[in-house]
Amino acid sequence: MACKGCLLEEDWRNTSVQTLVDEQLAYETELVSEEHYKQRLTICEQCPSLLSNTTCKHCGCFVGFRAKLSYKSCPYPGEDRWKAV
Amino acid sequence: MNTKAIIHFDGEGALINRNIHGHFAEHLGRCIYEGIWVGEDSEIPNNKGIRNDVLQALKELEIPVLRWPGGCFADEYHWKDGIGPREGRKRMVNTHWGGVVENNHFGTHEFFLLCELIGAEPYVNGNVGSGTVQEMQEWVEYITFDGESPMADLRRKNGQDKSWSLTYFGVGNENWGCGGNMRPEYYADLYRQFQTYVRNYGENNIYKIACGPNGDNYYWTEVLMREATPFMDALTLHHYTIPGPSWQEKGSAINFTEDEWNKTIERALYMEELVTKHSTIMDKYDPEKKVALIVDEWGTWFDVEPGTNPGFLYQQNTIRDALVAGVTLNIFHNHSDRVQMANIAQTVNVLQAMVLTEGDQMLLTPTYHVFDMYKVHKDAVSIQVQENSENQDLHISASKNQKGEVHLSICHYGIKEAADFELELRGWQNAPTQATGTILTADSMNKHNTFENPEVVKPSTLEGINFSEEKVSVTIPPMSVVVLKIN
Repeated sequence: MACKGCLLEEDWRNTSVQTLVDEQLAYETELVSEEHYKQRLTICEQCPSLLSNTTCKHCGCFVGFRAKLSYKSCPYPGEDRWKAV
Repeated sequence: MNTKAIIHFDGEGALINRNIHGHFAEHLGRCIYEGIWVGEDSEIPNNKGIRNDVLQALKELEIPVLRWPGGCFADEYHWKDGIGPREGRKRMVNTHWGGVVENNHFGTHEFFLLCELIGAEPYVNGNVGSGTVQEMQEWVEYITFDGESPMADLRRKNGQDKSWSLTYFGVGNENWGCGGNMRPEYYADLYRQFQTYVRNYGENNIYKIACGPNGDNYYWTEVLMREATPFMDALTLHHYTIPGPSWQEKGSAINFTEDEWNKTIERALYMEELVTKHSTIMDKYDPEKKVALIVDEWGTWFDVEPGTNPGFLYQQNTIRDALVAGVTLNIFHNHSDRVQMANIAQTVNVLQAMVLTEGDQMLLTPTYHVFDMYKVHKDAVSIQVQENSENQDLHISASKNQKGEVHLSICHYGIKEAADFELELRGWQNAPTQATGTILTADSMNKHNTFENPEVVKPSTLEGINFSEEKVSVTIPPMSVVVLKIN
């Protein structure tokens, strides 16, 4: 068994975050509207918990994925920052 | 199907070292940060930066030993980055694991605080891959030396007057891979050199742990035992249960077929062969079994949850994971003469975790419940169980504790049919009078707990136990982990 760190790098090398998000969203049906999605993402982009411009540190999700799902809320501790939109 | 088993009360084996139920917490994804450490200013209720809900759950689990800071992270970790005032500690991006910002807020002092709060023995893994002999020597001095020295003085300056007690120290991690891509001959020499300077200060006595093989690399074990047996207390083994054909197709943690269920169990049971064969090699160089085999990374490894950062290794945990935990712990119990410690990967939010968190929410996984149910085996004496079974889907271990109570762990990993289990009791001085049981089960193979429904899979009382004429019989549903108590 090869080193898991190297294998992960290999996984990432040829796959962009957007591709991963698009692939996974293709299986989802409970989605918010495009406008709602953009409003959520705008909040994420200004959030101190956004890592590497892609990942929410509180749930480990790519925000581009989670923000599209209507049944998900913002996991910011003690404060659903998407509640207002 | 019927399963008959015989248990000889006087058929005692080795003591089941409580550390067989140990855990592993690496700086990876959301295991340490968010999972354990949220910082003192967090909205999440915490004790000096460690979140209270996770703390309470881990405390109740009575974790005997906790390995830290890696894993692959250990051989890139420089401990001096993680001491002193937090605002002044180095910040860096953990490229290994998903681009997380590593601000070093969880370092040596925080780890020892965590261990103290949950009552676990610390197991520190030192850096051979990218560290130096001096760095490792100084870390042990910093932690354990109570006299006057540069490192002891530095520790005092950082607010810890008294030295900590540290027994378990790993000299490198996966040095055949992420820890330096070494050949065993080279690592064996490096191990001999590094461990020389892992000193015992005062009354603190370090138990030295050498990096052992990956899976079935028996040559690594042969070389390490041949070259370094007198210098080690233990050798490690890593084995992950991966149902898929490759690292790119490990399989889903939730959406899997019956074939994948069976493949998962088969690969978990492979631990039996690994432990047996590595032990046989160790017997050749160490027939008195002075050197322990420590399985300090094990557990399921599936594809990450959809939409999550792949570098975080975040996966869900079903009743299938509970069965993997159950059979693996059974194997360790049955080999307790050689296996003295094991550390499931990993404690929070990574791979086969005990608890999952999302923001300020937390849930207990089916694996957590197995560890909780199995607590009764810690420090008990292993008892061999003789099976005469039509059913190949049961896996058993048994032990007797100091009160004379016998506990049986029975994993039924069949998917469809219940098993009629009958246990014959032999050799008891005082005939037992009762049997009680706890069961963890589910009505479908992918049942799991979610933040919306956190108690879908949880233990309950096992009903229908019959006790007569020194026989215990009970029907065990498929996909179940059972712990029977006989006294």
